[in-house]
Amino acid sequence: MARYGMVIDLNICIGCNACTMACKAEHASPSGVFFAKVLEKEVGKFPAARRVFLPVLCNHCEKPACRDVCPTGATSKREDGVVLIDYDLCIGCRSCIEACPYGSRTFYDGNGAYFEGHTTLFETAKQTLSEGVVMKCNFCVHRVDQGLDPACVQTCPTECRFFGDLDDPKSRVSHLVSDKKARSLLPDKGLEPSVFYIGS
Amino acid sequence: MNRIDEFLIGVKPQREWGWLVITYLFLGGAGAGLFLISLYIDHTVAGALGLLVLLLGTVLLLLDLGRPERFWRAFFHPQSSWISRGCFFIALVVVCGGLETAVRLFGLGAPLGTVAGTVSLVARSVGAAAAILVMVYTGFVLAPSPAIPFWNSAFFPIIFFAYSLLAGIDILILSSPLLPGPTLDLAFLERAQNYLAVACLILLLSHLSIMSGSAVAARESIRLLTRGKWAPLFLGGVVGAGLIIPLVFVAFAGQSGLQAVFAVTAVLALLRLFGDYLFRFLVIRAGMYDPLL
Repeated sequence: MARYGMVIDLNICIGCNACTMACKAEHASPSGVFFAKVLEKEVGKFPAARRVFLPVLCNHCEKPACRDVCPTGATSKREDGVVLIDYDLCIGCRSCIEACPYGSRTFYDGNGAYFEGHTTLFETAKQTLSEGVVMKCNFCVHRVDQGLDPACVQTCPTECRFFGDLDDPKSRVSHLVSDKKARSLLPDKGLEPSVFYIGS
Repeated sequence: MNRIDEFLIGVKPQREWGWLVITYLFLGGAGAGLFLISLYIDHTVAGALGLLVLLLGTVLLLLDLGRPERFWRAFFHPQSSWISRGCFFIALVVVCGGLETAVRLFGLGAPLGTVAGTVSLVARSVGAAAAILVMVYTGFVLAPSPAIPFWNSAFFPIIFFAYSLLAGIDILILSSPLLPGPTLDLAFLERAQNYLAVACLILLLSHLSIMSGSAVAARESIRLLTRGKWAPLFLGGVVGAGLIIPLVFVAFAGQSGLQAVFAVTAVLALLRLFGDYLFRFLVIRAGMYDPLL
């Protein structure tokens, strides 16, 4: 069985946030809710100051703490490693948010309209979101199940994101993880993330 | 420095769980503690009061849910979730405690061997075990969190047990003039409180001592509690008003007979309850994510 994962090359990422916008467009996520985003930081001092970027999303951990603490089974892990939330089962207890060290989850209280008092045609057409539940990236499973890449991977203009089967030794992501000394975020937490970073 | 390390820059406080959860931790523990002690002293009305306090806390917990109408789904994952297990523990206390209370209040306290007597004994035993579990399970909810190191402590279930019993007995002391039924031995209850307060103090200091050598976020939590913005509440409220002042008062004024005055005992109980609530408040509010991404 496959174990889907992602590798992000930090040397190539230019911090354009195309992934952020593609994710927004794909999921019609509410205002203030980001399944994928790019962290930015200024490092160094003038004249050597520069901005650095770190794209983040749910790490779809091999040992997801969020799944274990969920009292309803709303958070589950598919056989292919994708960690999902069933919004119809979630009761909004937020224990998963307390358990996730990556801050990948957001509680949606229903106040997600982009323009107060007005719903755009896009929101009307695409937002079918439950209120009072916790949300996060789902690796675009509806696309992956059709053999497509997640929206953020598809959109990235610099092609710094790679998606594939980590268990397939011939896959691009497997090669990148093994050949490029890929790192995951907070490995000491022991959750074995499926999102890796290469580059410095 | 690696790019990822550039972003591991600090800590941030948890903000998801607020006063509803905090008040549930307090009332749930106190209610279960009161129910447990009522079984020990054989006081049916006090047991009923404990169940009411527990139910009130549970209502607040339900109100905290994003989708409270789906609360029943929380019973579905006891194999891994302590919240799910806690739902079963609360349900067991309410059902068994309610049954036990009903059997006694309606004069069905027949001797063992009769149906009513056997039902009462089973309900008492299961209710007592479930009450202990209600008092400790919230510690297990917090302890395994990989995100908040300050909560990663085996002490929490034990501290929560001690504090729950402390609060349960304090509610019993405060309500004693109004409770019908057998007269309470307040001197015995006050002695028990002194032992429990010492236990809470030792456990609390042990937890802080161990966490001070832990992860960055745990050390920040301790800094906030001992030297930061929560220090006045923690040192003054939890440790001072909640534990030290009642203990010191008993040590110095206990022999004078002042303790026999109910008003004095009630003030000490109120101080401990105040400290207990602050303890729950600060445990939740001082939880820090490690590190900020």
